[in-house]
Amino acid sequence: MIVEGTVLPLDRANVDTDQIIPAHQLTGIEKTGLGKHLFTGMTGGVELLASYPDASIIVARENFGCGSSREHAAWSLADRGFRAVVAPSFARIFFENAYNNGIAPIIVPAEEIDALLQSKSLRIDLETERLHRDDGTALAFALDPLRKQFLLSGGYMAFLASKVDSVHAWETART
Amino acid sequence: MPQSLFEKVWNAHVVEELPGENALVFVDRVVAHEITTPQGALEIQRSYDDKLFDPARIVAINDHVSPAKDTETAIQAKVLRDWAKRHGIVLYDMGQNGICHVVAPERGFVEPGMTLACGDSHTCTLGAFGAFALGVGSTAQGGAMLAGCLVLQRPKVMRVNVTGRLQNGATAKDLALHVIATLGFKGGTGYVLEYAGDAIAALSMDERMTLCNMAIEAGATTGMCPPDETTFSYLRGREHQPTGDAFEAKVRAWRALVADEGATYDAEVTIDIDALAPLVSWGTNPGESVPIDGVVPAGAARASLDYMGLEPGVALRSLAIDQAFIGSCTNSRLSDLRAAADVLRGHTVSVPTIVTPGSQAVKRAAEREGLHDVFQDAGALWTHSSCGPCLGMSMGVLAPGARCVSSTNRNFPGRMGAGGRVHLASPAVVAASAILGRLGSPDEIVAAPAASPSSAEQAKVNA
Repeated sequence: MIVEGTVLPLDRANVDTDQIIPAHQLTGIEKTGLGKHLFTGMTGGVELLASYPDASIIVARENFGCGSSREHAAWSLADRGFRAVVAPSFARIFFENAYNNGIAPIIVPAEEIDALLQSKSLRIDLETERLHRDDGTALAFALDPLRKQFLLSGGYMAFLASKVDSVHAWETART
Repeated sequence: MPQSLFEKVWNAHVVEELPGENALVFVDRVVAHEITTPQGALEIQRSYDDKLFDPARIVAINDHVSPAKDTETAIQAKVLRDWAKRHGIVLYDMGQNGICHVVAPERGFVEPGMTLACGDSHTCTLGAFGAFALGVGSTAQGGAMLAGCLVLQRPKVMRVNVTGRLQNGATAKDLALHVIATLGFKGGTGYVLEYAGDAIAALSMDERMTLCNMAIEAGATTGMCPPDETTFSYLRGREHQPTGDAFEAKVRAWRALVADEGATYDAEVTIDIDALAPLVSWGTNPGESVPIDGVVPAGAARASLDYMGLEPGVALRSLAIDQAFIGSCTNSRLSDLRAAADVLRGHTVSVPTIVTPGSQAVKRAAEREGLHDVFQDAGALWTHSSCGPCLGMSMGVLAPGARCVSSTNRNFPGRMGAGGRVHLASPAVVAASAILGRLGSPDEIVAAPAASPSSAEQAKVNA
């Protein structure tokens, strides 16, 4: 699976999920339709999005997605067509939420970020785990081997559904 | 092989090892609130025959916006309520509810050695009981409701030894802020913080919950405190706990839930708290705090300074505030309210001040002690329980540029309202600041003369 597209450069560290989508926009009951709230909690966020209307890949600095567990952050990114976030590090809950919503969290060394922020577009091969820059050079990264399957075939819940019987059996054996 | 507390709990819950250091981890308890539960519950209803793994392992709590503020939040509460009733799930709703991380323990729904998940990052609060309790997304919570499990990457374990004792006005909140400042805002990422040491043993359950509540603010998966007599005493007689011999049998099992001598850790830090003073955050993440006597540090990030309207060298005590808030899953339990009331008693606040108890049970207990009179006599607003102003979702939202001292856990840009500026502190420091109209500490407040009962009564009559 290839994720290819325009880069939205988010030259910030510690982008928390309150900035990605503020709490007063968390009043729905569905996972859909949240793209219109994306970055509305971020100073200059709406303007930044408007400057890169076709972007599908975010490049950001360390600790992306920290703070609240709100999966609305991943849903709002996915709803706006984002398919990957490239950063030196991610907060755990966002990292899991991204995988569960078709957004690849791509971890690259911090020293690569300055150059990546300058990239107009990127091509990310999720199968071979290589990130191709627009100058022809490439960078290897590693995906979580299990969650990669969720990403490629969209199936956290389906995976767990397949485990129900064995979990019941485990629980019975435990007690 | 000697094991850490975390390893004992983790190993007892691994159903299956999975590729990439992942595991299928059994979840003993799910706490479900109205903001993050409906999405997973609806997915299970639509795609998996509405079949839950075990409804008895779930508790549902309307907590973020209760009572509802508008049609949308009313629908969220109704979805949670209807879903709970349909499945026979224990439900704490308007009138008996409160912040889920306050309600779950006070109802005895969490205990040592358990695993617990909730679609809320501050679920780490419950690690105070020696449980492995963590915040997850709605999908992962849904998976736990569907299959009784989470897929988790096995976290590393950091032992955090805490020596000395809280004194000089320092509280568990200050310890929590100090840990984050020491480790760094993301320094705990990938780790469980396993607290240890005499200073931890000396903490009450309320204090341990405050400490563990902020583990996520260092990026940690969760925090854990070793269970001991303090833990057992807290749980004895609680709603979801058995009584008599059945409870004592559980206590005997819980006593084994301590780190073995010689257990190894992926990282270890020691923090001495004898010299710890009250801290206040100056910046835009919870790792950016200094002692209340301090100044905004040189070298502070420009973005943080600009957002907060500050410059390096500015004394924290010089900062005028526009609002004060005492509440949130960090600091809204009875002992927190007592600490704030002890400062406010006989004084008057000089800025709008909101006091929001952590649960309706805490509210009633506070009122039995007359704390509601102390707060209202001081001119503060005493509210029903909810997450309230902490996350800018309902009441108490800040105006752009407004500066608020808050007993909460996050000072992110926009957290309590777009453009609002948040300074994190303990309930006592918030109370003192509310009186002073600027950031300050209880030692600046001159004790008020004790009001004679007759004059207090007269004041009530006049009111």
